[in-house]
Amino acid sequence: MSSDRRIALIGAELHGAADSRSIANATVVIEDGRIAAVGSGLPPPAGARVIDAAGKVATPGLMNAGTHLGLVEIGAIADSSDQVDKEAGLGAGFDVRYALNANSTLLPLARADGLTRALTYPGPTAKTPFSGLAAILRLSEGPDILDKPAAALIAAIGLAGTDLAEASRAARWILLRRGLDEAKAETPAKAPLADVISGVTPLAIVAAREGDVRQAVALGSDYGVRVVVLGGAEAWRAADVLAKHDVAVILNPFDDLPASYDEIGACAEAAAILHQAGVRIAFSVPGIHFSHDAGAALREAAGLAVAAGLSWADALAALTTGPAKIFGIDDRYGMIAEGLDADLVIWDGDPLEPSSRPTTVFVRGLEASLATRQSLLAQRYHPRRRDDPWPPAYR
Amino acid sequence: VDEDAHPSAYRPLPRIDTLVRGATVLDGAGARHEGADLLLRDGKVAALGRDLAAPGGAAVIEAAGAWVTPGLIDPHCHLGNFPAPFTNQDLKTLDVNEDTDPNTADVLADHSVTVQDPSFSRALAGGVTTVHVLPGSSNLFGGQPVVLKNVPATTVQGMRFPGAARGLKLSSGENPKRVYGEKGRGPSSRMGSVAAMRQYWLKARAYEQARAADKPADRDLKLDALAAALRGEMKVHIHAYRADDMGAMLEVAAEFGFRIAAFHHATEAYKIPERLAEAGVGAVVWSDWWGFKAEAYDAIRENAAFADAGGVQVCLHSDSWLTGQHLALEAGKAMAAGQKAGLAIAPEQAIAWVTLNPARLLGLDAMIGSLEAGKNADVVIWSGDPLSVYAKAQTVFLDGAVVFDRAAGGRRPLGDFELGQPAAARRP
Repeated sequence: MSSDRRIALIGAELHGAADSRSIANATVVIEDGRIAAVGSGLPPPAGARVIDAAGKVATPGLMNAGTHLGLVEIGAIADSSDQVDKEAGLGAGFDVRYALNANSTLLPLARADGLTRALTYPGPTAKTPFSGLAAILRLSEGPDILDKPAAALIAAIGLAGTDLAEASRAARWILLRRGLDEAKAETPAKAPLADVISGVTPLAIVAAREGDVRQAVALGSDYGVRVVVLGGAEAWRAADVLAKHDVAVILNPFDDLPASYDEIGACAEAAAILHQAGVRIAFSVPGIHFSHDAGAALREAAGLAVAAGLSWADALAALTTGPAKIFGIDDRYGMIAEGLDADLVIWDGDPLEPSSRPTTVFVRGLEASLATRQSLLAQRYHPRRRDDPWPPAYR
Repeated sequence: VDEDAHPSAYRPLPRIDTLVRGATVLDGAGARHEGADLLLRDGKVAALGRDLAAPGGAAVIEAAGAWVTPGLIDPHCHLGNFPAPFTNQDLKTLDVNEDTDPNTADVLADHSVTVQDPSFSRALAGGVTTVHVLPGSSNLFGGQPVVLKNVPATTVQGMRFPGAARGLKLSSGENPKRVYGEKGRGPSSRMGSVAAMRQYWLKARAYEQARAADKPADRDLKLDALAAALRGEMKVHIHAYRADDMGAMLEVAAEFGFRIAAFHHATEAYKIPERLAEAGVGAVVWSDWWGFKAEAYDAIRENAAFADAGGVQVCLHSDSWLTGQHLALEAGKAMAAGQKAGLAIAPEQAIAWVTLNPARLLGLDAMIGSLEAGKNADVVIWSGDPLSVYAKAQTVFLDGAVVFDRAAGGRRPLGDFELGQPAAARRP
């Protein structure tokens, strides 16, 4: 970790500057953790540590809009998984901020793949549609990874293909509306629902089927709350109504087949269709890579969205300004622009190619180590060490 | 084993001779050809070279700027036996595992295949022309995989790859002990799993000896399969993540004298490449999956490249209806990880991980896996470098027939399940 107060990056091909602009031969000046200046060909200020990024691509640090980072270490092992309130029945009162493990080995890997922020959110339970409160992480080194607690209240409706799917979705919608009704009737209303009703906290509804997506929009209108659709495999079929009501969608560009009865209409072009209609989008990659490859798989997903018709710049926005605006951290994160946190990544290639990797990552102005448990294993077992007579444990 | 009991009814689809002109060709056999022409004739690769003449009546595809590879081969997937859509009923009775006994060597993966699984057509759109469909990993002896041509059919008989030898799927490590430990029976530990396997192999050896001595015991389908594996007539595929598990399986194979064709998943192949190479055991791996279970915690992205550098025959596999749509990209990611670790791996070598190497693994390299003259005309024309995230399969040939064409109005399969689904309508 470098503690340089003032850093100047020079010569970069910068993408994701203010207003989603790209800047050739860009200089980015970082001071005290923030972006102090951005411009083409600016001379580095006196006394700055200069990083020559000539010929390299630089972007904002990326944000994954849906993970269990900090809540899970090994997927199949309950001991290391805190993302679901299986026992206490806290509902909307469940809050993942208390479970965050800053020493999880998933975090350095995500960061080494260019992620500097992530939403981490609770998983669904059978009894209540309310899963609990999500948090935004910043993937800096050290224990201080909680960037924004209560970034969204999560409610889960569509659960096809899970063992929670026995109950009718109608019951879950009724329970969700009842929860909001009760909170409205209370004076003073209790958090976190009070913050949802007042519009401070978005209500992110996990829904895939078109009907559920339309129900989510209707609920937002009926209660005047800020709704976000999480999943939204069939959201493209309701793109016009989502755009009209300014409801954002966090989707998985890998989804292109009827993986469940809630996703019969999943299609590869969903991101492009939603964006074209004016819907704000961000990405999350549920499945095997959900948290464990939260950086690399996110970039691959964005690349696939480009292959399916989204522009490259709009795909980058879905990894930066899109989620920043959805979760209300765009005052500090999402662009390489003066005054914002210096979350900055220098790449060895096109960041939307999963084969590319960061060469340098800054989180809030601090250069982070790119070492991971995997990179250390790779060093230990590198073919060049094959003739070492000592077992790998000594390397 | 009565091979005639499960014949193929596959018939090539209508085709015309085709000349693909001026492409960048990765031939699967390790070479790259710039500005090359590829002639497909009577369903076979007729020639690969420069300035080839189109025979009379042949279609000509101008492919300058495009890339061409052999049809991809997914050496480990569950297309059809883990079909979409997945439902809550599948949590209990999924067709991929017959998890009622640790030894179900008698079951055939083919008999669980839902041919209308939409995943087949998605994989085809990703350039996959041959798939190895395996039973799952609940059981020590999970059953017999099947090689299918990725061609739409109304029953699985129409997809079976003619002449493909059968295999036997075994599983080590976490899954069998979890499944049977939780049922309150054995095995419930790794050592229990290995002991149980050895007991079955002993029985199979006695069964085989009796048969060879012309005093056959009553026919037993499970022992038929194990005995065929002992005779080397069935390829043995073993699900194994950790080096520990691979070490134990190598010991069992040596004890009973059978060869292991490959370890599947093999997330720790990079820890013991010399042992795998020495035993002639392949590694069928992912590019980047890790951490979803304890035995996958040490997976690294350099696994394929390191194993390859150690002389192991490496294949990339999907094991997933999503990853299986991007198999060439899997090779690209694994290549890049190796390159960044300082190994010299070119695209023409990496593409073999999803073409010629799986063809060899399945014993089909005389027919598929490369664009050498005489092989089946299984060919993919890509919009660009197939190892890039942006590349798309534009045209896919299977035995010379165009089975997928991305062009507007082009021929593309749509399975019965998706037909008439309002939710899927109006897609671009």
